[in-house]
Amino acid sequence: MHYTLQFGQVLKYLPYLISGAWLSFQIAFLAFCGGMVIGLVGALGKTFGGRVFRSVVGTYVTFFTNTPQLVQIYFLFFALPEVGILLTPYEAVLVGMTLNAGAYLTEIQRAGFLSVHRAEMEAAETVGMSLIQSVRYVIFPHIIKVLFPPLSNLYIIMTLGTSMAAIFGVEELTGRAFNVNALTFRSIEVFSVTAALYFLVTVAASTILVLLGRWLFRVKSKVF
Amino acid sequence: MKRLGTVWFLGFLVIVLAFGVSIAQARSLDQIIKAGEIRVGINPTLPPLGLFNEKNEIDGFDKDFAVEIAKKLGVKLKVVRVGSPDRIPFVAADKIDFVMGAMTRNSARAKIIDFTLPITTEAFGVLTTKKIPYENYKEFNRKDITFVQVRGTTPIPFIQKNLPKAKILLLDNYPDVIRAIAQGRADAMIDVIDYMWKYMKTHKQVKWKVIKTPVEIYFNCLGVAKGNYTLRDWLNVAIYELYRDGVVDRLWEKWFGGPIVFKVHWSEWF
Repeated sequence: MHYTLQFGQVLKYLPYLISGAWLSFQIAFLAFCGGMVIGLVGALGKTFGGRVFRSVVGTYVTFFTNTPQLVQIYFLFFALPEVGILLTPYEAVLVGMTLNAGAYLTEIQRAGFLSVHRAEMEAAETVGMSLIQSVRYVIFPHIIKVLFPPLSNLYIIMTLGTSMAAIFGVEELTGRAFNVNALTFRSIEVFSVTAALYFLVTVAASTILVLLGRWLFRVKSKVF
Repeated sequence: MKRLGTVWFLGFLVIVLAFGVSIAQARSLDQIIKAGEIRVGINPTLPPLGLFNEKNEIDGFDKDFAVEIAKKLGVKLKVVRVGSPDRIPFVAADKIDFVMGAMTRNSARAKIIDFTLPITTEAFGVLTTKKIPYENYKEFNRKDITFVQVRGTTPIPFIQKNLPKAKILLLDNYPDVIRAIAQGRADAMIDVIDYMWKYMKTHKQVKWKVIKTPVEIYFNCLGVAKGNYTLRDWLNVAIYELYRDGVVDRLWEKWFGGPIVFKVHWSEWF
């Protein structure tokens, strides 16, 4: 009745799992980029926008940061078809993760905007800079150093969060791990290999982000 | 350097957990009797084999069958919720003593768990809608056809082998699979004919269609941990008695509303 670990049966699926890990990385990257754009617009709107825009952004942020991401994607996947919008599993996951990330990134970027001293904004206004110019030349160089660590953390969390895509039939790393598990029934071996792959993906992503931060924005942070 | 140490420590921990994890041993028949409780895995998303009743408790054919087993053994029944993809790992990890939930007997699964005698049969059919014009299951072998199936179930290798051109979308439970067809996300599913009428009732607005597939009959058994012969042998005797006394047929008719499509021919030799 002893269970014998047999990694050989699982390791033959390693290329299949690695391409799943690549898909996880891809989903996280696209959702993060989309979220950054939404977050930037949201943060600008919340900081400098009018009352109506602020309240629209506020509602969006409150909704998406106070409901589980899984439920949000489930809604997009299964509720939207009832009103005639049929998203593919990949689209539903990407849209869901982007909207969710956008809400968090709105708050993160807004915190960055608020960290800029009022006097500097006034100085920018005095020399005749537009809002976009102020963001580009005054705010951005200031806040990037402050924002880089939380942005990196969110990106890593999002990479790990792609595992929920499996529930909707997206064959990323976790989805493929489920499939290999269903074929081999070697759960301990399958999920050990899967954990190791996630570990490698996130450590690689962290390293790339830290190096990018150093080279592009002179953010002083350690790789490990 | 401190953080580097932490990362390597975590990596080491993952490796230790992977290789050095203490694997639980399945409980023998004596241990189950001594504990006074048998733990049975049932999938509640597989009506009428397993479902949630009005009190939100797991009910259905499998539950009633497990009750009969527990009665014969003289112990309490503990129903454990399992899903299609995780039911075999639940047995292998000793989370349950045996698993039900359409546990189709096949050689791949028999490498990991042991099977008892068959308790029910299953014959596949295609569940689709009237929007799809095909009347023979072989016509579904097309690139523009998407089957939606529950992960870890027997029809998946059947589709891959017999209908290789069709696409397959894998979801984790039957309600989601049925909803996917009802919403037009997928065109069809292949599963056991006996279960389909129950699914069709959940989306009344859809014009459902069932197409029979002339394939071999599969047998559902109870799945026990590999090498747990004391439990498996006792279960075989209990299954024989439940058949001989007409209990299985009665339970089937209670939950399925009619006799089983393909009967299990029990014998005094097993």
